[in-house]
Amino acid sequence: MKNLTLRASVALACALSLAACGGSSGNLLLGGTVTNLFKPGLVLQNKTGPLLPVAAGATTFAFHELIGNDEDFEVKIATQPTGAVCVLANNKGKSGAYNITSVAVVCKTNMYDLGGKISGLDVNGLVLVNGADRLAIPAGATDFKLSQIDDGAPYGITVLTQPPGRTCSVQNGVGTMGAAAVDAVRVTCG
Amino acid sequence: MTLTFTRPALTLTLALTLAACGGKATFPVAGTIEGLKYDGLVLSTNGMDLPLAANATSFSFPNPLSYGEVYDVIAKAPPAHQTCNVASFQGRTGVLYNGPTDTAGRFGAINIGVLCTTNTAALGGKITGLTSDGLQLTNGSTGGTVAPLAAAVSFNFAPVAYDVTYGITVLAQPAKEVCRVSSNGTGKMGDNPVTEIVVTCEPKPA
Repeated sequence: MKNLTLRASVALACALSLAACGGSSGNLLLGGTVTNLFKPGLVLQNKTGPLLPVAAGATTFAFHELIGNDEDFEVKIATQPTGAVCVLANNKGKSGAYNITSVAVVCKTNMYDLGGKISGLDVNGLVLVNGADRLAIPAGATDFKLSQIDDGAPYGITVLTQPPGRTCSVQNGVGTMGAAAVDAVRVTCG
Repeated sequence: MTLTFTRPALTLTLALTLAACGGKATFPVAGTIEGLKYDGLVLSTNGMDLPLAANATSFSFPNPLSYGEVYDVIAKAPPAHQTCNVASFQGRTGVLYNGPTDTAGRFGAINIGVLCTTNTAALGGKITGLTSDGLQLTNGSTGGTVAPLAAAVSFNFAPVAYDVTYGITVLAQPAKEVCRVSSNGTGKMGDNPVTEIVVTCEPKPA
């Protein structure tokens, strides 16, 4: 009786651990590394298999389904994240005897122009900054463009150096970058 | 006949081989510098001081050492605005540089690593009149964002490297006040911490 119970529970445990493999025939992990993914929405897929969502901030991934020895794999991007573009490397091949952890997903957040218009600047010397980004603006300029910034990054434009004899002020200089260039910053000098 | 020629020839070969040893091998204490941007660095070992100019990428002490002499290279004086470490590290090109101290002759050529990094200084200031949550300050797009809570009287951003600019702005207003950066919010980092930025908050007009 005792023996039977034991045998049954061992069988159950076996069945459960096999089921944990997701019903797949294989025993090898398929996965890899994720670099610079700061945006949500990335979905990966192996061939035509189940979809694997990858969260913003992830640095590794592995499909839930295991693959067999000598099995072809091809990891694809089913959906790109919002506001970023990811590319794959080492994503196609045939499995051997070991887990595959060498698929590389490298992402880059989209960047957009940050700038606007200037009025009344008739002398050299104005220097604008967006934090560490610095831009000297010559006399006569009517528009300006600072370095591009990431989708979702904050910005705050201020005056580092006033032109001699003039005072320039910044309007609409603070915000958070969306999915399009910002051209609404205004610098007025007088 | 053959023998009489062979013997002098052998002697000559032996003499030449020994001469190739140079009598006494010497080893210049030399190395590679990464990241040096300013004047003032002085390296020192075995009684020799070696000043290096801004942007130098290599060094070699004037007097080579003899086999077996011990060297111990130190950064006797730092360059302006930077800190340099004499150490074994993997350089940009993948070369593993030698450490600061060893015995001349243990390596065919000595290539000591010197890594210089630009100093950073703290960036912060004071807040007056803040009684509610929600204030967010930002230092441009890459300098970080801070969110001082209600009743905060000071704030600190991530340190900023020498000669890098900063510009603090109000990214989000708190619930009950209107805040502005009232003084010293924009500048270029020097050698000392910036602590005098002032953010002034006043109750929202009813």
